[in-house]
Amino acid sequence: MRPSRSLIQKPWRTAAELSALLIAVVVAFPLYWMVLSAFKPAGEVRGDRPVPWTLSPSLDSFRRVFENEDFGRYFVNSVVVALSVVVVSALIAFLAATAVTRFRFKLRTTVLVLFLVAQMVPVEALTIPMFFLMRDFGALNSLLSLVLPHLAFSLPFAVWMLRGFVKAVPDSLEEQAFIDGASRTRFLWQILFPLVFPGLVATSVFSFISTWNDFLFAKSFIINEPSNQTLPMALLVFFDKETPDWGGVMAASTVMTIPVLIFFVAVHRRLVSGLGGAVKD
Amino acid sequence: MRIAASVAALGMAGLAAAGCAPSTSDGGAKEDEKSGKLRVWLFREVGNKPKEKVVDDVVARYEKKHKDVTVDVQYIPVDSRAEKIKGALNDPESAPDVIEYGNTDTAGYVKDGGLADISEEFADWGATSQTDKTAKESVTVDGKQYGAPLFVGVRALYYRTDVFKELDLKPPETLGEIASTAKKIREKKPELYGIAVGGAYTYGAMPFVWAHGGELAEPKGEEFAAAVDSPEARKGIKAYTDLFGDDNCPAGKCAKMGGNETVEAFAGGKAGMAIGGDFNRQAMEDGAVKGKYGVVPLPGVKKGDIAPAFAGGNNIGVLKSSDHRTLAVDFLKEIAGKRTQEELFSAMGFLPTFSDTREKVAKKEPFVEPFVETLDAGTKFVPVSPAWGEIDASLILPGMFQEIVSGKKDVEGASGDAAEKMDEVFRK
Amino acid sequence: MSGTTTAVASPAATAPGPKDGGGGRERRGGAVRRHPRWTPWLYLLPALVVIGGLLVYPIYQLGLISLFHYTQAQASGGEPATFQGFANYSELLGDSQFWDVLLATVLFAGACVIGTLAVGCSLAVLLTRIRAVPRLALMLAALGAWATPAITGSTVWVFLFDPDFGPVNRILGLGDHSWTYERMSAFALVFFEVVWCSFPLVMVTTYAGIRAIPAEVLEAASLDGASVFRIWRSVMAPMLRPILIVVTIQSIIWDFKVFTQIYVMTGGGGIAGQNLVLNVYAYQKAFSSSQYGLGSAIGVVMLLILLGVTLVYLRLLRRNGEEL
Repeated sequence: MRPSRSLIQKPWRTAAELSALLIAVVVAFPLYWMVLSAFKPAGEVRGDRPVPWTLSPSLDSFRRVFENEDFGRYFVNSVVVALSVVVVSALIAFLAATAVTRFRFKLRTTVLVLFLVAQMVPVEALTIPMFFLMRDFGALNSLLSLVLPHLAFSLPFAVWMLRGFVKAVPDSLEEQAFIDGASRTRFLWQILFPLVFPGLVATSVFSFISTWNDFLFAKSFIINEPSNQTLPMALLVFFDKETPDWGGVMAASTVMTIPVLIFFVAVHRRLVSGLGGAVKD
Repeated sequence: MRIAASVAALGMAGLAAAGCAPSTSDGGAKEDEKSGKLRVWLFREVGNKPKEKVVDDVVARYEKKHKDVTVDVQYIPVDSRAEKIKGALNDPESAPDVIEYGNTDTAGYVKDGGLADISEEFADWGATSQTDKTAKESVTVDGKQYGAPLFVGVRALYYRTDVFKELDLKPPETLGEIASTAKKIREKKPELYGIAVGGAYTYGAMPFVWAHGGELAEPKGEEFAAAVDSPEARKGIKAYTDLFGDDNCPAGKCAKMGGNETVEAFAGGKAGMAIGGDFNRQAMEDGAVKGKYGVVPLPGVKKGDIAPAFAGGNNIGVLKSSDHRTLAVDFLKEIAGKRTQEELFSAMGFLPTFSDTREKVAKKEPFVEPFVETLDAGTKFVPVSPAWGEIDASLILPGMFQEIVSGKKDVEGASGDAAEKMDEVFRK
Repeated sequence: MSGTTTAVASPAATAPGPKDGGGGRERRGGAVRRHPRWTPWLYLLPALVVIGGLLVYPIYQLGLISLFHYTQAQASGGEPATFQGFANYSELLGDSQFWDVLLATVLFAGACVIGTLAVGCSLAVLLTRIRAVPRLALMLAALGAWATPAITGSTVWVFLFDPDFGPVNRILGLGDHSWTYERMSAFALVFFEVVWCSFPLVMVTTYAGIRAIPAEVLEAASLDGASVFRIWRSVMAPMLRPILIVVTIQSIIWDFKVFTQIYVMTGGGGIAGQNLVLNVYAYQKAFSSSQYGLGSAIGVVMLLILLGVTLVYLRLLRRNGEEL
């Protein structure tokens, strides 16, 4: 945005930057409180003097989190499930998005709306039919029973987002490819796919987070195979109506959030440039 | 509206096919194998290690007696137990043989066809002659036993020894004194609640109802009928809701609180008294009140009385779908037996359900004395009906207390409406 | 593709070169005719298989279950499922509380959608006007809020606004004002949390979109002396429409179904149920006591409402000449 920068007067920019920083602090404060509570000793988490620091930071809460048997295993499972969903849904969504943007056909809008319909039902209501479906697939208790439902739930959003990216690739390019004798498949995978790839990365972030943070399916479909549990189950241990362990909750959440945050920081530039592709038409 | 039309068509197709039934499962055991793998689900407590150690010993003892059996124990988070157990009921393939479950869930699981009737084994098991009456009630549905109690949890009155000393107060001996003592504390120390109470703290409020001679519901024919609108129950409800107000626990803050929040308020040094369980000890020890609190049984209406407390706790049951029924019951006897209960008390502080075992451990640990005293004075249980699950889940009772506390309805109106809603559920 | 109408995409504008008589092909209809009719369906096939198998079929089952007396006892085979027509629906629609809750849900979800979009879009614009360091700070804070699991986010917010143990009342000098006692103030608190955790998505996508708008376009608008708001309305928003449509539809769907925030922050629906929204109501009425028949009926009703809202929205777009 270099051109417009020169147009904004200095005092205005300073004001804008100050308010941006202030907003950043406000937005980050709950996060800071979460991490802080994870480090506070047990009695201080809900102590009578809510100070934004702690004089005796303690790793006890984290210890309780990592004490969970197979914590590493849960972590790996979460990564496997999330990545499978991300990769498979990206590929399927790419094809579907191509179909609905580069072709006109009957029922096109119907298909698009159909993609959204599933998200409109409360998940709890769908858990029971899903459960029997997974049972009939023989997928219960395996990681597949987590991958499949999440795939289904992240596809619609991915298709809708990707539409913009696919649309943004000029038709002339497609024309040109066919003139040069490229087959449809070659155009799809060797020309269109790389062009849309940044968009795929951006879209994948959404499916990643929703899969990573879910526990409804994890607690419903992984019934008797503890080695297939995912990370949120380590968080649930600390929620107990009568005797909740807030320090443990905060520590487990911190542990869950940090990998996502690192991932974000790593890709955020690409995320922005990728998402931008959706309007370049 | 082409889209709408095709969606409607989809809906019609669904209706047309309504003749065929939705998916279900076919539970029920076929065999009673005498060897193989016995699968056990226990709750994963916060700080589970000591429990695991006790259970490991139980498993070792058991496997020694049953050479051809291996026991596979899984610990499930308390917060996901409902989904897990539903899953196990829906898919017998995944189901364990033995489960730990919260005692208020008994009737529901029985109705769902989940728990096996073990009345005969229960009667033949010598140890059960010492089983606490209410604890036995909590595994009993229609006169049949569906498990064995593992431990009980019970609530009593926590108070601040330092505050009481400073203000020259004595621990209250009647419910009326609780109110007057609470107001005195609030008056002298306005930064404290006299007694922390919560509008959503049903189990803290019930003793007030019971102490005044009221009941939640009374058996009527096959089912129950609500009794929260009886004159006695209303007296109790009034006594509890009168504790809300600026002179003790302002409605603005306390109406929303549940059991855990009131305990937190006390543990955080914000209250002179609170109704808490034996299982809340750790929270107190971690909190600001460490070393500054005492516990007495929650008093009744008259001096010398103890208000009947709610007997919570967990049970061990055998699933109906288990194909190792005999082995499973044997394991149940081992893990819910006296020796294990004693060990669990030392490891986790779980109160035993056998009266003699409880007496024995109470001597070793003075902290539990007021709780044991409360148990011995007689406790109460929620209506053993599958409807209770729904009444509990739809927050009918917390709603009633909150309506009164926030001034939306008076005691008569709110309890009448609540009784009506409860009856509606019981009738289903 | 013949349907695309924007200037950039038209072959004439971008490929003026005399390459192999392109004009002739153009007249024959371009890419569309090249493909057999079933080609788009071939591309759609994997998606349709997944959606059909994993969503349409369960939704069909959902509709079926909603017509039965179907609880956990039926699911686990303890008792047979009995067909009872529309009994679940009439129970639901006959409950006066349902209508109160529905109204509250529509208003609350509407507020959340508008709030999220407004905050997200204004911060996106703000991001384009500041230098890298403050921008990075705001971006990271937002990404952090986005990555936090909803259940934790809600818990932390309750801690922060706790009248006894929370820092917010101290900072703002509110004494021991209880945020959750009054209906409106409780809804407001939840509203803030919902906006907090959902604005980042809008902000990041919109910001990325603005970045992709050719600089000359914005510059021209600025030179004309248009205000920030004018530039947004007449230049940015139209160009960002494809993105904004998606986030709007998604926000509607998500916010209408808000559950965790209300459940955790108001203790299951607020004092005497004053803060119930549809999904929490469904949970209390049906799911937590395993009344799947009734729960499915609520699910179907929610599906129909959301479908209606979405279709109306899409129709409005189409009336404005927006192509999907």
